[in-house]
Amino acid sequence: MGRYRYEAVGLLIVTVASVSLHAVPPPPIKPSDKSADSAHDAQALATRIDQLIAERWSSRGIVPAPPADDSEFLRRVSLDLGGKIPRVWEVREFLNHPRPDKRERLVARLLDGPDYARHFTDFWRALFVPDSGEEQSRFLLPRFEAWLRQRLQDNIGYDRLVRDLLILPLATPRNQNVFFRINQGQPTPLAFYAANELKPENLGASTSRLFLGVKLECAQCHDHPFAKWSRKQFWQYAAFFSGLKAQSGIYGPVEDKADRREIQITGTNKTVQARMLDGTQPAWKPGVSARVTLAEWITNPDNPFFARAAVNRIWAQFFGIGLIEPVDEPSDQNPASHPELLDELAHQFAAHQFDLKFLIRAITTSRTYQSSSVGASSSPEERRLFSRMSVKGLSPEQLFDSLAQATGYRDFGRGNQPGFFGVVEPSPRREFLTRFASQDKRTQPQTSILQALLLMNGKFVADATSVDKSELLAAVIDAPFLGEPTERIETCYLATLSRKPRPDELARLLQYMQRKETKAALADVYWSLLNSSEFMLNH
Amino acid sequence: MIGSPHPALRVSRRDWLRLSAAGVVAYSMSGWLESMAADAAGHPQRRRSCILLWMNGGPSQMDTFDLKPGHANGGTFREIATSVPGIKISEHLPKIARSMDRMAIIRSMKTKEGDHGRAAYLLRTGYLPLGSLEYPTLGSLVSKELGKEQAELPNFVSIAPSRLLSPAAYGSGFLGPSHAPLIVGETGYSFAQPQAANNYQEKLKVQDLASPAGVGPRRFDGRIDLLQNLDQDFASRHPGGAPQSHVAAYERAVRLMRMAAARAFNIDEEAPALRDAYGRNLFGQGCLLARRLVERGVPFVEVTLGAFDAGMQGWDTHQQNFDAVRRLSEVLDPAWATLMDDLRSRGLLDSTLIVWMGEFGRTPMINQQAGRDHFPNAWTTVLAGGGIRGGQVIGRTSPDGTKVEERPVTVPDFLATICRALGIDPLKQNQSNIGRPIRIVDKVAKPIVELLS
Repeated sequence: MGRYRYEAVGLLIVTVASVSLHAVPPPPIKPSDKSADSAHDAQALATRIDQLIAERWSSRGIVPAPPADDSEFLRRVSLDLGGKIPRVWEVREFLNHPRPDKRERLVARLLDGPDYARHFTDFWRALFVPDSGEEQSRFLLPRFEAWLRQRLQDNIGYDRLVRDLLILPLATPRNQNVFFRINQGQPTPLAFYAANELKPENLGASTSRLFLGVKLECAQCHDHPFAKWSRKQFWQYAAFFSGLKAQSGIYGPVEDKADRREIQITGTNKTVQARMLDGTQPAWKPGVSARVTLAEWITNPDNPFFARAAVNRIWAQFFGIGLIEPVDEPSDQNPASHPELLDELAHQFAAHQFDLKFLIRAITTSRTYQSSSVGASSSPEERRLFSRMSVKGLSPEQLFDSLAQATGYRDFGRGNQPGFFGVVEPSPRREFLTRFASQDKRTQPQTSILQALLLMNGKFVADATSVDKSELLAAVIDAPFLGEPTERIETCYLATLSRKPRPDELARLLQYMQRKETKAALADVYWSLLNSSEFMLNH
Repeated sequence: MIGSPHPALRVSRRDWLRLSAAGVVAYSMSGWLESMAADAAGHPQRRRSCILLWMNGGPSQMDTFDLKPGHANGGTFREIATSVPGIKISEHLPKIARSMDRMAIIRSMKTKEGDHGRAAYLLRTGYLPLGSLEYPTLGSLVSKELGKEQAELPNFVSIAPSRLLSPAAYGSGFLGPSHAPLIVGETGYSFAQPQAANNYQEKLKVQDLASPAGVGPRRFDGRIDLLQNLDQDFASRHPGGAPQSHVAAYERAVRLMRMAAARAFNIDEEAPALRDAYGRNLFGQGCLLARRLVERGVPFVEVTLGAFDAGMQGWDTHQQNFDAVRRLSEVLDPAWATLMDDLRSRGLLDSTLIVWMGEFGRTPMINQQAGRDHFPNAWTTVLAGGGIRGGQVIGRTSPDGTKVEERPVTVPDFLATICRALGIDPLKQNQSNIGRPIRIVDKVAKPIVELLS
């Protein structure tokens, strides 16, 4: 596309051998401004996580993996909280930092930084509105993302986020052009309803799966074969959305009858009344709609499903595997691996006003999260004991943003702005996101041939590894303060794998560089690093 | 060093180097030609292949394979006789009419979706989009059943697709990227890029197959050597599926770059007269490429005609239906007919199933703009070649074309018939992304047995 450039300055501000050459001073690692109480409670919860996880190790005679070293931790937590790998200077600074509490400070800095909201917008968006190809929801996705981003930036409670989503007014005002509603460009979660076609049964299935961690889809047509859910219960739950009626999705007029509370089971002539999933009679109040009544029940701190479903999902995001796995199927046949821990996390999450950052801070500062991923092969059963960090795939966004970080790329194009039909203009980022379609099973990521070809030969990586075009390489090659080949190689490693090369690697590469012309050889090393599995996985 | 049973990682350092430029000849003799022999035409163990001719936008059944001459809905086209007495089709498909003995027309498709995106998803996966379930497209399902993991060419190639309105209908869904299509000649991802009529040559090449300028074979070998060191180190420290999948994909990509396999995409090798016969356009040359791929053992190739591109409506003929369908037929007819002849002369027609379909048909009623609108109630698909008892018509529509009067065929029925013709059990289950097993085709399906040979 030719619309991108490489910017090497920010990347390469290097402090070789502790000589400070900061042109741009890195922001200091400092604790969050958030209440000290919350930080203290997160610390306590982290300790509790470690206790409950370790109890099972000792009862099963399992020796856990050693703690991740600083490089491993920095890379992992940067990807998990900010959605991309750290910059060269960030790696150097973190590795050289003497403070014993530098990991906690790093977590706090990442949670307060702008990348947190950006990255978790991608996460929640993929969960709430998976790209099923439904036209209307794709058109509305950018506005859904804006809606999420606002809330994540303000760190509003997860309960409020879900409530806002569930109670969104949907009726088309009289005389309003329907295109007005979708074209006014304001942040809105309408895409969620479009993806579910505004149908009560789809909304029932989606909201119970996402917010209650209960997969009712099977019960739509028949009683659930493995769990306790009956077909009648499914439709009783779907009845909360029965006031919605739309002829042609959100493009057409939408009717939203607030007081409708019953629904006919498809394919029968039976009608059922709205009931909560636990069988309780809804606490109807005059003038309060069915959806608002449902939202209040779902997000109530006493709801046995809501907080557990949320913490399980977040746990699965960080560990690659949930405490209940698969995450949507809690049942007597599929108990949590650590029921006490699930309860404790859920309880604390609710007690802290469903503060996502509180929960994430507790998880990422735990020793369990900070285990190394290096080790021998383990059985699926052992993996559920979290004795070692699992190797996770990168989301397409994480991969592209990390490539951009490693190569100093900045997108000056329109990027993610939707055009006609919600189709996004081609840009290097879009091309990547298309070819690296999101993968559900993050611990079993797969690479395709096209992906490999794109990364080996595509223009993006080719330019980034071309001696003539890559500013990063030019800077590494020409930097006067990088005297020895050793230091140049090291810089390439820090920029891509966020670690220094091991002695055997360094010896091998120095030998390689002797055989070839220096610039080209360095470009080759850099190319191999960007294409390596170590770069493309989160470990 | 690496105690992994995964075949990809069993590739030793020596094997990797054999993949390098210097080793091409040696490797291609032992790998490529050997597998060619087993797949040779007429070999009883030869696996079946499928070529899907995807008519993007929904082709008009009333103006192709189910004409109603004399009725007000009939339009302006005349019927012509085919090689099978009693079966008549559009006058604009004269070449394909001569191969009717190997074709079966299904005139009684009865489906329910009239929206391009959803209908394409339904026809191409067999299911409607549902929550977080990611159903795989037909090509990915066939890739999984009939493909070879170690094949040098990808097991699913999609030629000139137009994924604009329904990207998920082209994806491998819960089967994962190893069954994703290798896409060449994609059109219509942007309305802003007009498709020049004569750049099909360039479009049919695999993207990013060549090393960047300045990186010759020797230098590329050096890079691969470095990469292999890194990947082996990492895999030895982190046993498990993810690093293995990475190595396997890279290995296959490098093979594709280096091996004779990539030659499959070089349609310049074909005789000019044959290339003319297919038609010198993206679809015609795409069909030629499909034959070359099937010949080399690729189990599933799809070729799209009617991309939404540069303002083109494809088969979505809401306006000026008759002009548009005539022009599309003039591209379709020589390409499809030549494909059948070419496969037959190479002994490949008996093992290659050809499917002709779009996402729905078009209204029998002609609208004010001389167009026809979306119509899923009664429409037509065609199966031809391997596994099909040709020379017959399945089902019947009413004289005005608005209703199926005999033997309605649903999407699952149709897809299950395709599976059976390919020797695939349609009731086989795959593990889905949400943990529930999903059958290749829903179990309500009743294959059209009278259509199978």
